[in-house]
Amino acid sequence: MTWIREFWRQLRYRLSGARFDQDLAEEMRLHLDLRAADKQADGLAPDAARAAARRQFGNAAQLQESSREAWGWALLDSTRQDIRYSLRTMAANPGFTATAVLSLALGIGANTAIFSILNAVVLRSLPVEDPQRLVQVRPGPDGDDVFTNPIWEQVRDRQQAFSGTLAYSPKAFDVADGGDSHYVNGLWVSGDFFRVLGVPAIQGRVFTRDEDRRGTPPLAVISYRFWKRNFGGESGVVGKTVRLDRHTFEIVGVTPPWFRGLDNDWGFDVAIPIACDPIFHPGRNALDERSQWWLRILGRLPAGESIEQARDRMKAIAPDVFRATIPQDLPAEAQKGYLQNSFFLKPASTGFSEMGMQYRTVLYTMMAIVGLVLLIACANIANLLLARATARQREFSVRLAIGAGRARVIRQLMTESLLLAAFGSAAGLLLASWGGRLLIHLLATTHNPLDIDLSLDSRVLAFTIGAAILTALLFGLAPAFRAAGAELNQVMKENPAAAARASGRFNLGKAMVAGQVALSLVLLVAAGLFLGTLRNLWTVDTGFTRHNVLVIAADGEQAAIPLGQSANTYREILDRLRALPGVTAAATALLTPLNPEGWAQPVSPEGMAPGSAGDTLMFFNRVSPGYFATLRTLLLLGRDFDDRDTLKSPRVMIVNESAARQFFGAANPIGKTIGLGPRTPDNAVFQIVGVVKDTKYNRIDEPDRRIGYFAAGQDMEPPPRIQFTLRSDIPVETLVPAARAAILGVNRGIALQFRSLETQVNESLLQPRIVALLSSVFGSLALLLAMVGLYGVTSYAVTRRKGEIAIRMALGAARGSVVRLMLRDVVVLLALGMAAGLAASLAAGRLVASLLFGVQPRDPVQLAGAVVVLAAATAVAAYLPARRAARLDPMAALREE
Amino acid sequence: MAESPRRDEIPPGTLYMLILKMLARHGQLHGYEIANAIQQVSGDVLQVEEGSLYPALQRMLLKGWVTAEWGVTAGNRRARYYQLTAPGRRQLLAEVDQYQRVNGAIHKILQTV
Repeated sequence: MTWIREFWRQLRYRLSGARFDQDLAEEMRLHLDLRAADKQADGLAPDAARAAARRQFGNAAQLQESSREAWGWALLDSTRQDIRYSLRTMAANPGFTATAVLSLALGIGANTAIFSILNAVVLRSLPVEDPQRLVQVRPGPDGDDVFTNPIWEQVRDRQQAFSGTLAYSPKAFDVADGGDSHYVNGLWVSGDFFRVLGVPAIQGRVFTRDEDRRGTPPLAVISYRFWKRNFGGESGVVGKTVRLDRHTFEIVGVTPPWFRGLDNDWGFDVAIPIACDPIFHPGRNALDERSQWWLRILGRLPAGESIEQARDRMKAIAPDVFRATIPQDLPAEAQKGYLQNSFFLKPASTGFSEMGMQYRTVLYTMMAIVGLVLLIACANIANLLLARATARQREFSVRLAIGAGRARVIRQLMTESLLLAAFGSAAGLLLASWGGRLLIHLLATTHNPLDIDLSLDSRVLAFTIGAAILTALLFGLAPAFRAAGAELNQVMKENPAAAARASGRFNLGKAMVAGQVALSLVLLVAAGLFLGTLRNLWTVDTGFTRHNVLVIAADGEQAAIPLGQSANTYREILDRLRALPGVTAAATALLTPLNPEGWAQPVSPEGMAPGSAGDTLMFFNRVSPGYFATLRTLLLLGRDFDDRDTLKSPRVMIVNESAARQFFGAANPIGKTIGLGPRTPDNAVFQIVGVVKDTKYNRIDEPDRRIGYFAAGQDMEPPPRIQFTLRSDIPVETLVPAARAAILGVNRGIALQFRSLETQVNESLLQPRIVALLSSVFGSLALLLAMVGLYGVTSYAVTRRKGEIAIRMALGAARGSVVRLMLRDVVVLLALGMAAGLAASLAAGRLVASLLFGVQPRDPVQLAGAVVVLAAATAVAAYLPARRAARLDPMAALREE
Repeated sequence: MAESPRRDEIPPGTLYMLILKMLARHGQLHGYEIANAIQQVSGDVLQVEEGSLYPALQRMLLKGWVTAEWGVTAGNRRARYYQLTAPGRRQLLAEVDQYQRVNGAIHKILQTV
């Protein structure tokens, strides 16, 4: 290990710093003095003796230098020199430095921001013990990934594939005791959950297998965040209680700050045992419910075993597990299908993320867009550096002439580039932490309150440093080589302008501007497509009027409403709401439009041969009289529900246009019947009493669906959750206090959430809005950068050709022809850039097709629009310097030459 | 000025060996003494460009063949005294050994012609 010792010695010597030089100098001085004294003793005159000693000694300065080199200091010293020199150059050109650092900060910052979100939701491993060995058990390779509790219990007790298994399910719990809901992020967890993940308690204890027993007492493990926020981090929290959906849970422990649960966008607050479920539903035992699929199952691979081995073992027990858990009430056909189920395994080291699935394409698209912006910024800086390298050519020639190596000059210039990149990315990191949080904030909704840990980790840091180095190479390498490669004599002899003329720097600059134009066009086309998508989505006819409607989600599940009384309770609330001042119409509905929830089942319309299930699938809602008036959905035929539609009257249904048309064609649908499921004597049949206009159901970009409405008055088992919709002629926000008071006046225990229908619509358009916003911002930025680039190149060309222009003008050229002369190059450049950009846009368009609505990636109007915008902007950028050329005073310019 | 006798440059690569040898013989020396010792012992035939001793000494310090210590000369001036280490002694043996092998081979070639 000699090199270690050598390194250690080197380090020790190095730490003694400046003394090294003094010591060496003193040693050499002694030598010279002694030698001179010797010579003098031999009879030389003092001066001659000294000179002879020096001659014999050699070049002291150079020797000192090579002594330093022995210690590897040369590199360090010259690097320090380079940095000092670069800083001085940067300070001497504050305009250039600011432009470069700012554009890099924007470019690198945007990239880091998007990457940190990608990292948090898609790439990062869970901070649990050995996450690589965690695998998820699934019922299929993709699609749903949850199981019933009976299946989980079978898996837990039978499996031999894993060293430990766990099950969990996220759920929002209301911590308020009625009135406005206040939700915390809850987790149902199995007893082994924390142990299998290797998460200890920092206060109290975590759950054990004991908590898997039926009838386990209501206990809770809380997260560090919840402990800090709700208990101020006090040490005596164990034994305290927390109210969840009106039930009291005793806190037994607190988890460490690094553990946020298994969902990247759902940091948990409270975890409670799965076995506690009956506490919330005293009437029915969800634990033995064989049709309720709600639990995610994970296992930990034993050391040295592969996921394939575990999969084989799980597949082996699958038939037994499913036979033991078959839902008895399922039709025979479906039971057979149920038994076909099996287990699939999937690595789960990165955890789960709704956002990751929902926004994956968006995130990758954004990553590509900001990447292109950074490229354009790089091209700009490279161009500026090229121009500067030309201006500094004399300086470099002098340095080369007095013996600096080319490598040394390149190193010097690269140091400058790296420093610029370093400053840019430092500022970019700040921007990113702010921008990332802003983006998450923009993307969060009440339904999906994204709670993502964007803290800086080594991967994000490595990304930023990598981006900085890559950009420095991109924008610095060509100018550096260009500067170092200049022909010495030519530059020294001639004046700088003439030398620049001879060098080919302009072609490289031109190529880069053409590239910028191409990339900008791609971004502009993208921005146009996304803006067009958003415009189309805004103007979609939703079939209802979104303004001035308040939606109140009411949950009476824990409100102690006597059994069978909920229908009456809600009717009474509705009457009170209708009486509020400002309310012009009010109704209840099971579902309101543009929510993720839905209710669909196959139907059998009168006179239609039973076809495939897809042909007769219908979406449903259950509404009270006045619902269509409240939402201003047109009633086209027949009548609305009214108070005569009760449990005792014939069953009725209102359908939308699409259902009427597709089931009954041109025939009048009023009076026709629709059966639920196949037509058997057991299944209910409904008579159509009205037809309403088509409305959007889950999404604004969905094609029209067949929708059927049931009457709220004919609901045999009114659900505890219901939505009140209120149309008002005053701003809906001002309606909230009165509405709250009216509802709580009937029952204090009902949990409430208020939202305007407009908000609901807007939130459903969140993704396209964000995409359109970001792509236009970055598209404009790209356009601006391309304009700056083109302006720079044209200005430079004007300066370079001043003499030529002056001669032409002196010989009688008109101003217009001078402008044309200057623009001729630019037009070629633009044409090339745009051709490349169009080709790239066409190729890239397919990749974002899934994010578009109502616009085609190849839509000629879209493409032409982007071309026109780009052409106009770049024409301005090029025209300004060209006009300056035309205003040139020929005599002054010629004298200068 | 007396005409100095003809002096030969030190063959490249042998400077370390000469320094090591001088230190092995004399124990502790400072730079000037090393330069003088090489000249005197070689009967003034070998001449070092005296300054080049110092980068060489630094390299040898780094390799751990010698150690240095500040002391005082007879003329009462501060000087850095160099001393051989155990690895330095081994290095000297290795270099001498190699030198003699190469030299012997060259000698043989010259005799056969």
